[in-house]
Amino acid sequence: MATEVDPATDQGGRPLPDDRLKEILYKLMLARHFDERMEALYRQGRLPGAFYSGRGQEGTHVGVAFALEERDSLFPTHRDLTAQLTKGLDLNRVMAQYWGRIDGYLRGRDGNSHIGDWEGTRTFAVISHLPIAYPVACGAALAYQRAGDRRVAMAICGDGSTSNGRWHEALNWSAIHTLPVVWVVNNNQYAYSTPNTLEFNVPTIAERAAAYGMPGIRVDGGDVLEVFDAARRAVERARDGGGPTLIESVSLRWRGHAGHDPAKYMPQELLEHYMAEKDPVKNFQEYLLTQGVVTKDGVDAVAERVASEFQAGYGFAQASPFPEAGDVELGLWAEDGYWDREPGRGGGTESA
Amino acid sequence: MAQKVEAAASGHGAEPRGKRTEDGQATYLIAIAEALWEEMERDERVFMLGEDIGVYGGAFKVTEGFVDHFGTQRVMDTPIAEETIVGTAVGAAMEGLRPVAEFQYADFMSSGFDEITTVLARYHYRTGVRLPVVLRAPSGGGVRASNFHSTNPEPWFAHAPGLKVVCPAFPSDAKGLLKSAIRDDNPVIYLEHKWIYRRIKEHVSEDLEFLIPLGSAQVKREGTDISVITYGAMVHKALEAAENLAGRGVSAEVVDLRSIVPLDEETVIASIAKTSRALVLYESHRSLGIGAEVAAMIAERAFEHLDAPVARLAPPNTPVPFSPPLEDAYLPQVSDIEAAVERLSAW
Repeated sequence: MATEVDPATDQGGRPLPDDRLKEILYKLMLARHFDERMEALYRQGRLPGAFYSGRGQEGTHVGVAFALEERDSLFPTHRDLTAQLTKGLDLNRVMAQYWGRIDGYLRGRDGNSHIGDWEGTRTFAVISHLPIAYPVACGAALAYQRAGDRRVAMAICGDGSTSNGRWHEALNWSAIHTLPVVWVVNNNQYAYSTPNTLEFNVPTIAERAAAYGMPGIRVDGGDVLEVFDAARRAVERARDGGGPTLIESVSLRWRGHAGHDPAKYMPQELLEHYMAEKDPVKNFQEYLLTQGVVTKDGVDAVAERVASEFQAGYGFAQASPFPEAGDVELGLWAEDGYWDREPGRGGGTESA
Repeated sequence: MAQKVEAAASGHGAEPRGKRTEDGQATYLIAIAEALWEEMERDERVFMLGEDIGVYGGAFKVTEGFVDHFGTQRVMDTPIAEETIVGTAVGAAMEGLRPVAEFQYADFMSSGFDEITTVLARYHYRTGVRLPVVLRAPSGGGVRASNFHSTNPEPWFAHAPGLKVVCPAFPSDAKGLLKSAIRDDNPVIYLEHKWIYRRIKEHVSEDLEFLIPLGSAQVKREGTDISVITYGAMVHKALEAAENLAGRGVSAEVVDLRSIVPLDEETVIASIAKTSRALVLYESHRSLGIGAEVAAMIAERAFEHLDAPVARLAPPNTPVPFSPPLEDAYLPQVSDIEAAVERLSAW
């Protein structure tokens, strides 16, 4: 674990107090359980829409989001629900969104992991066109800089996004204006079916930071504490007026692009290697067990907790009504007031 | 006075009102600058960003002198990065600021199209988060600016739900509509017409609360025989044609839409109820555009008033050509309008 000991919080050489470490364990295990169960429901035809698995990348998602304060903002992609959950999204409302219910964060206006909760947890509502939120993060960071309130914006994208012009525009712009922003690239080695070798012709994404005049760091996404440490430093640097940082966190996308994709293009030995050696959840459990922070029974208790929370979330989603069909044209304009009042609650709670 | 105008034109924090003519008239360009200046003075959350808008004062000098008065934080020169100009405006609006972004030409809005139509337009419907963003852009042809500096992109944005689209034709409208746009809690595409910038001037209100509501059309010339429904630079062509037609005994009413979204259907319908004939005149491409929408709306709502088919007069479905004979053939001319009106009047 390439982390630095903070004397103020030193506990047996561990980088964080035990309760914080246990919180990370909970977030990792919640993410893994959610991901496995939701994908199963999708394959059973019980989950409408799409499902984008983030399995194998939980170390990246929890590690970076754990470095943010509540007032900081997060600009994620469809694969980063774990980061949003780490930032504080409510699982019940997340699941209501997946089933298109009125109690979802976006009142059924958007589905699956295209979630956001700006007024609450300060997360941007995900948009498919990547990295479309990177320029938006520049704007939020600009507002923090002008207000001088030491807030930070963090944006996540995948390796695939780094081939897009907006990725360049946003990094360049943020460096010119020393914006308080942290750029995270979840390099899971595949853009849908396209491998890194067909996405860019440099050894690492992190080294591209030099072209913009900002630091770039490459971390092991299988090690949540290594990711967290890099993110914490980048966030502090941004908060202190030091400007942007690029973090490339390397993992492997264990599943297909989405629930429909069996990912037959991925070499089996590569997948087996990552699942055996770079599993961020298993690695962190072993670390905490070795350090004596948790016991085997303690890990089992977390497993039971996340399973029961998932079950409760599923029940909440199924019990939540659909939106009122007659409201379809409302909410387009600020002045129609739809978003300022309690929404119409439609009939029917049967699964789509 | 000429000297005063020249001194003001050199910038250095000069208020745009000082650039009015000796008798107090404002050009369309100065009226726009006045609106920006007044709203920035009124509300410190308002700031501008765009290419070369600071020291240089903008490609058309709309923001000349602003940076000296408001500073580089509120008059922000940007890299050539249109997606990020829009994205930055969106993010800043999410955090409570009220950005006004300038596109150097409306043509370049295509370089920021995804952030405009995918993020800015749809975000409120999806989430309820208000995005008070104004995107200003010089549009339109007739100034020999060629293919990539002459387009009228209003149909692109009118077709993206969630954007208001404004196309003023007169200095007063330009000022009152821009002030309203900046105070609006929705995204507004504000399309200036570069042919009008320095050609049209009039007395413009100096009242700081002079506002024209978005979505209100206005009859610019009363008439009884036919309604010419139009907006932007074509309003001026229509008025010239109406004057010529009056000499030949045809009374044409000219309705200036002023806003494309929201569309003021009532003013259009009321005019047709009076005249029973409609010519829809516009500068964007003829097919599948603004004219189709207005004509369909008239067909649906005012069929019983019509004595003739609704006609469209607009440029062909080609890019805007450069060579003067070609551009003149492309754009509806005053004589084309007169001929179209006379064809309809013959029904």
